[in-house]
Parts: sequence; structure tokens; C-alpha cells
Amino acid sequence: MTTAASALDRLRHALPSDTERPPAHYALDGGTPAIAFAPNDPAEVATLLHEADEAGLALAPLGARTAAALGRPLARYDIALDLRPLDRVIEYVPEDLVITVQAGVTLATLQATLREHGQYLTVDPPPGDEVTVGGMLASARSGAWRGHLPAARDLILGMRVALPSGEVVHSGGRVVKNVTGYDLHRMHTGALGAFGVIVEATFKLAPLPAATRTLLLTAADIEACGALARRVWDAGLAVRAIAVLGARAADAAMLAPVPCVLVEAAGSVAAVERTLRELRSAATGAGDASVETWARLRRLAAGPGATVLRLGVPPAEVETTVAALERAGLTAWAHLAAGSVIARGEIAAPDVEALRRMAVERGGFLQVEVASAALREAVDPTGAEERTLVEALKRQFDPRGTVNPGRRGPGL
Amino acid sequence: MRDGDAGHALDATLARTMATSSAAAHPASSGQPAGHEALVRDLQQALGVDSVLQAPEDLIAFEYDATIERALPEVAVFPATTDQVAAAVRIAEAHSRPVVPRGSGSGLSGGAVPVLGGVLVVLTKMNRIIEVDRVNRVAVVQPGVVNLQLQEALAPHGLVFAPDPSSQRVCSLGGNVANNSGGPHTLAHGSTVNHVLGLEVVLPGGRVVRFGGRLADMPGIDLRGLFVGSEGTIGIVTEITVRLVRAAPDVRTLVAIFDSVDAASEAVSAIIRRGLIPVALEMLDREIIRLVEPRIHAGYPLDAGAVLLIEVEGLAEGVEADAASVEEACGLAGAREVRVARTAAERDRLWEARKVGIGAIGAASPAFYLLDGVVPRTRLPEVMRGVMETSARYGFRVANIFHAGDGNLHPNLMFDPDEPGATERVLECAETIMRLCVDAGGAVTGEHGIGLEKRSYMEWIYSAADLAAMHAVRVAFGGADRFNPCKVLPGGHGCSVGHGAEALAVMRRGADSV
Repeated sequence: MTTAASALDRLRHALPSDTERPPAHYALDGGTPAIAFAPNDPAEVATLLHEADEAGLALAPLGARTAAALGRPLARYDIALDLRPLDRVIEYVPEDLVITVQAGVTLATLQATLREHGQYLTVDPPPGDEVTVGGMLASARSGAWRGHLPAARDLILGMRVALPSGEVVHSGGRVVKNVTGYDLHRMHTGALGAFGVIVEATFKLAPLPAATRTLLLTAADIEACGALARRVWDAGLAVRAIAVLGARAADAAMLAPVPCVLVEAAGSVAAVERTLRELRSAATGAGDASVETWARLRRLAAGPGATVLRLGVPPAEVETTVAALERAGLTAWAHLAAGSVIARGEIAAPDVEALRRMAVERGGFLQVEVASAALREAVDPTGAEERTLVEALKRQFDPRGTVNPGRRGPGL
Repeated sequence: MRDGDAGHALDATLARTMATSSAAAHPASSGQPAGHEALVRDLQQALGVDSVLQAPEDLIAFEYDATIERALPEVAVFPATTDQVAAAVRIAEAHSRPVVPRGSGSGLSGGAVPVLGGVLVVLTKMNRIIEVDRVNRVAVVQPGVVNLQLQEALAPHGLVFAPDPSSQRVCSLGGNVANNSGGPHTLAHGSTVNHVLGLEVVLPGGRVVRFGGRLADMPGIDLRGLFVGSEGTIGIVTEITVRLVRAAPDVRTLVAIFDSVDAASEAVSAIIRRGLIPVALEMLDREIIRLVEPRIHAGYPLDAGAVLLIEVEGLAEGVEADAASVEEACGLAGAREVRVARTAAERDRLWEARKVGIGAIGAASPAFYLLDGVVPRTRLPEVMRGVMETSARYGFRVANIFHAGDGNLHPNLMFDPDEPGATERVLECAETIMRLCVDAGGAVTGEHGIGLEKRSYMEWIYSAADLAAMHAVRVAFGGADRFNPCKVLPGGHGCSVGHGAEALAVMRRGADSV
């Protein structure tokens, strides 16, 4: 990429010299930026955004880069904005079950901080706790707990966002219930930076369950597994995850290679004991499974080495979807309550389109979670959206396309 | 923000006078605004003669919501379909008239008051439950469906729509979406936005769009989440897809009795501190108990300083443990007694007291001002002391009935508007209490919305840049000037700025449901 040396000098002038980083460390889809910065605070982020905007340069905000293959390849890439130095806990009041952190804090650090006070953020996004808070919000991915517990987007009480105008604006606050003004934070959640760079977020927390146990249930075939999973869901037990795994998915998760249902019981000791009892009597086969199994599934859901798709289908149809995907040679599993089906393997663009049509016909969707740049060029990774309004919002918040240009499609 | 209008809108805050507002709000009785006949004719053609009201005597019922601010719409229309809503919006815009959506009219921040006149789009005819999908836990409803109507339809399936505003007997689901409504069970289940999966919306300009879908985590920009709580300023919702939750297998309702609001507030903090989140944690103070107990006979002691109404739910085993922990926390905080509802009837009576509380205040006082503020839960004891001291200093009786577990206060200041100066003093008192909330790290509304009432308080919370960003959303949706004008954001053409005038909007007319 050729970027005017004078423009880069202006950027260097605007930010402290210790924030500059070697651009080679920030390659995305084979492209290397002309310059890279790791600012120390939100004000410096805003300054960099503003300078980039003024100079007509394209900037990509980056955290742990676990979602770098989500969305379209960038149309332009001049500046890498490394947000990891924004790693401070701004305020934590355990008694309020509320925490405010900067965007570069990893989920692992956040959960460790909370665990000391018997609390946690009820999210388990792929590929694991190495995600940064900013990346987790911008990519809005959920895991096995979705549908049982609130997702990240529902736990945000407030947010600060740096805009290409150079301003840092906030919405919401740090109270658990608040309808003061528009919830701008919702617009930035899942937006992949389309309207600015998230620099800080305040979350509502939950007490850690006193007990958790993972149980592996088996049934005659994938159809019986689906029916069993729904019976578990309907029983009102103390569970926070119900997954239906195809044989290949079970194998990839280091379980016996047959279709199965994985259930996580969570709650008070007494409630978990009762739940385990009922689960054991409901299934033809039941045994303990390692909590690591969930971590493996999380990693497989966004890990490198294969194309990964996420389909949304009605919960009543997860097992038929998993079966169809596995018959097609993919590794597939579903998180029942969210109707979320993950498929992993080698898959060509026309097949992605066919699967998307199938999901959309059922009132669902397909998102390409991990794929080569070529596949993400050939297929729209997110699928249809209300583009006219999104473009109108883009014109208001980032009219020059400074942040992640093209990531959400041409012109966005 | 790059939009030129944003700065202008904020500057306008200073430039407007109340006089312009009231002139605009009440078309001269001698005649209708220019083009009135043509507007009515176009609306009648599109919606049918029976669905358009324009005679002043017919419109009086629609000049206010649950507040006392009044303004007559020029025309009220009653669409039966999405296409009719879109047609009404297009016609209003073609005639340069403001559009104001309205559901049941039970709003508490003046959000449905047509302050600049124009076309009021009343959605009560669109009251069909289109679908209940028990297996996938989804329901599709029209915006005029009343909250309780949906709950009743779901009960046989063992399912619940979690948001349960105390006004659920009258409030519409479209209104719940517009205001991101809460309710007692918000504590565990979250507000309306956490339970809306998809929306069909008529945008300013009349285009019909869909946001979200039937599943959580639809990919793409979350316009659904942005729209919920936008108070009718960026579109009119015409269909709602909601997420349902399974009714809990076991519920326990407890009443903890305290000698003072202070002790009850400490107990709330103590319960949350234990890492225990009940599904509901409500406070009723002495004033409320004395007003409702003689009517309901739920067993609230008349000499109590305050009671906490607490509900825990889940599996029987967990409920048992949680109830014991709540009881212990209340005891340590000085509860004189903790009672457990033994039967469903007993439980219903306890909740009945909560639900009729606001109405009881209306019956006991010529007027009252229902406040809605929110504070961090650990600050509840000191803020409640401030609420009691402030009301006493201004000489008002105050009745508190609120969502203590969320830190969501509802002090009700009782006063006589005929007493000279009382209205002004009640506004001052209310503003002082709102300041207490904000100074404690809270916000100016937890669930009732900004509407007309609290536009001027927005600047306490948000910077000019924050407000400009919100205005930019309004511009992007095309609703900047004519869509529910003078609501949520400060400023706006022809909108008043008088703090008093706007806050007055929410003084209650008297009794009914909240």
C-alpha cells in the first residue's frame, strides 16, 4: 500500500512516539498497514481516528484478532489501531454487580477479576476467553449459554465510543435499568466498527453459580437426541447450556463419535443435584463429561483451519439441520435454546448460498464466521440486512469510511 | 457529529419559548390549520371515513396520556393494517404535519402527547395475537395487543412474556417496545429490549422495514436493539416478535417487614451483596401500606415503616435455599418479621397491593407527581434518606412504591394544585430528587422514558457530543423534525424549553392504573 509519507508524519506527530508499533505485526488477509499505533487511552484513540479521517486514511481497530476473519476483507487498510493497551478496569463495585472496563481488557482478565468476588459475565463467545471486550462486543458472538443467560449485548449498561470526528461519546450509564436516551451502544454491538471504535463498556454481572456439572446424554440417533434436548429444555431444570452434537462434532470434541446431547447444569448445589437426577432418568445413556468439552466446542466454533458457518434455525429444527450438515460432510453441532447451529469443514461458495436459503426459509440466517478472504469475497458473510438505514447511519457517523472500510460490504 | 442539524437543535433549546409551543399545540379554535380539509380527505380515502377522527369533541379523549400535559391532535387515525399506518405517515408528511404514535395512552412521560398537533396514529385497532409458537418459544403480535392479553394467551402453554409493567392491564406491547418498559420482574429477566426478537416498523416517510427476526443474535447491525426504547421518534412499530420464557416450576413470595425505609433499603443492598438476585424485589413504604391495606387486606402491618415484597423462583430445591438466604439477610438488616405466602391466593393479594398502589395515591390526594429515577443499588439507603428529607423540607407527603432491587425509585409527591405555589414547589422538589439520583451515579429514568417530561434533564447526563450522536440517529432514520416532535432530545423546532412546563407533563391526573 502506498500512503503519503507526509500523512504518516502527521499521525506520528499527533500521537506519543511510544505508541507506534511495527506495521508488519498487523497483517490482515495478507495486507499490511502503512503504520500502526497502540494508543494508551481513549483520548489518543479519538485523536488517531480524527487524524486518519482528516487524512482520508483507512483504519482497522484490533484487539486479540479472534474475529479477524469475520465480515468482508477490508477494502483499504492504512492504519492498524491496536487497542490492547486499553486494559484498565475503570470501576468495579461488586456490591452493585456492575463493572466498567476498557475495550482492550481480555475476557479472561475480566472473569478472573470477577471470580475473586464470586461473580461473572454470563458470556462464552468463541473461540475463548482470550477475546477482548471490544472485539467481543463488535463481533457480537455468543456461545452455549445464549438462550439460557443474557448475551453480551443484553449486559451492556453503558458504552464509550471514539468517533472519526475525534469525539468520544457515551450512552447509557452504570445502573442496571435505564431508558435515558437512545441506546447507542446497541448500534455498535455487532457492527464490526462501522460507526466508531468501542473504547469502554459497563456491564451488568451475575453471581457465579454455586455448582456446575456437565452431563453427556445419548439417544438412539440424532433425531432422538434433538427430541431429548427439547425435553430437557422444557423441564425447567437448572441448566445453562444444552448442545446437540452430530457424530463428527462429538468426535472433534473428543467424545465418543456418536450423536449426543451435552448439558451443563448450573445453580445452587441442591438444584444441580436434582437436575442431574432428572437428566439421568430421562436419557437412555448418561455420563459425566469434562467441562473442557465446552472449551473445545468454543474453539472449534471460531478456530482456524477450516471454514466455519453459524446458522440460525428454530430450536425445533436444530437436529435435522445438524444431520443434514453432517451428511454433507461437515462437522456440526447446535446450541438448542438459541437455535444456533455451527458447521465446520470445507465448503464452497454455492453451497454456502444454498445453506443460507435453507436457513432463511425457516425464519433464520447464516453467517460466515471464519473463512478465507476468497470465500468472504464470493459470499456475503452476514447476509441481507436493512441496508438503506445502515448506510444512512454510516453517513452520519463515519461518512468518509475511515473505520474498517468495506468490512460490512461495499461502501460500508 | 457531522450533521449540521445537531448543533442547531441544541442551540434551539435556548431560543424557544413556551409561547410558541402552546400556540402550536392548540390550533386556534376559530379555524383549523391551512389544508386541514385536504389532509382529512386524503386520510379518509386511505383509511376509510370511520378510521379518521377530526371533530374537536371526538379528539378530546386523545389530547393526553397518563400525564396532565394536553395538546389536541389535528386528526386522529385508527389504522387496521401496516399498509394503513404507512399510508397515514405518507399523507401526514405530504401535508407537512407531525406524526405522533399512540398505543393505550398509559405512558408516564408525555410521549404520546401531540404537542405540535398533527396526525395522531392510534394503534389500538391492531390488537391481534398473530401467532404463539410454543415449541420455539416465540410469539408474534400486533402493537395494540395489551400486555396482560398476551400473558393470558400464554398461560395455558406455561410460557410468559417477561416484561410486566404495573400498568399491564392497559399498556400495549407497542408502547412497551417504544419505552423499553420494565416492571417488577425486570430484576431477573431484563427490560423489553431483552425480549424482542424482531420488529416490523413504518419509518418516517412511510417505508416498511423489518429488524431482527425470530431468533436471537441475528447477524448484521442491531437496528432492533436501537429501535426499542426510541419512544416513537424514529418509526412506528406495526408487528412485534417476542421471545417467551418458560414459567418457573416453583415460586416463593416473601414479605419482610421493617420499622423504617432506611432499614429496608439496607436489606436490599444486603440481599444483592450476597450474590442473590430475586426475580422481584419491591419496596412499599408506610404511606403506601396505609393507603392500600384497608382496601386489599393482604396482611401488610399498618405500623410498618416499609415492607419488601420479594419473589424467588426456579426449581423447588433452589427456591428453598434462596428464600432462606433472603430471610437471613432481611433479619440481619433489622426486619421485624419475614412472612412467606402460603397459597397462590395469598401471593396474588400481596401483588395486588403492589399493583393498585399508585391508584390508591390518586384517590388520597388531589394530585401527585410520580417520579422515576434510578441509582446504583448500593446507594439506595443514602438516596432514600435524601428523598425523605427533601420531601419533608418542601413539606410534601411522599409515598414510595418501587423496584428496589433495580435501584429504580418511584417517589410520589402528593400535593394540592389549588394551593398557591404548590405546583412550583413540587417541581422544585422533584428536580432536587432527580439531582440526588444523578449525583449518586444514577439516571433520570429507569423505565418511564424521557418523553416530553425529562428532555431538559438529558443535559445532566449527556454532553453536547453525546446528544448530537443521538440526534444523528434520528436524522438517519428520517425522523428529525416531524416524527413525535419535542420528545426525548432537547431542542427541536417549535418545542418549548420551560423545565416546569415539561415536568408538569407527568403530574398525574388522578387515579387509575400504573
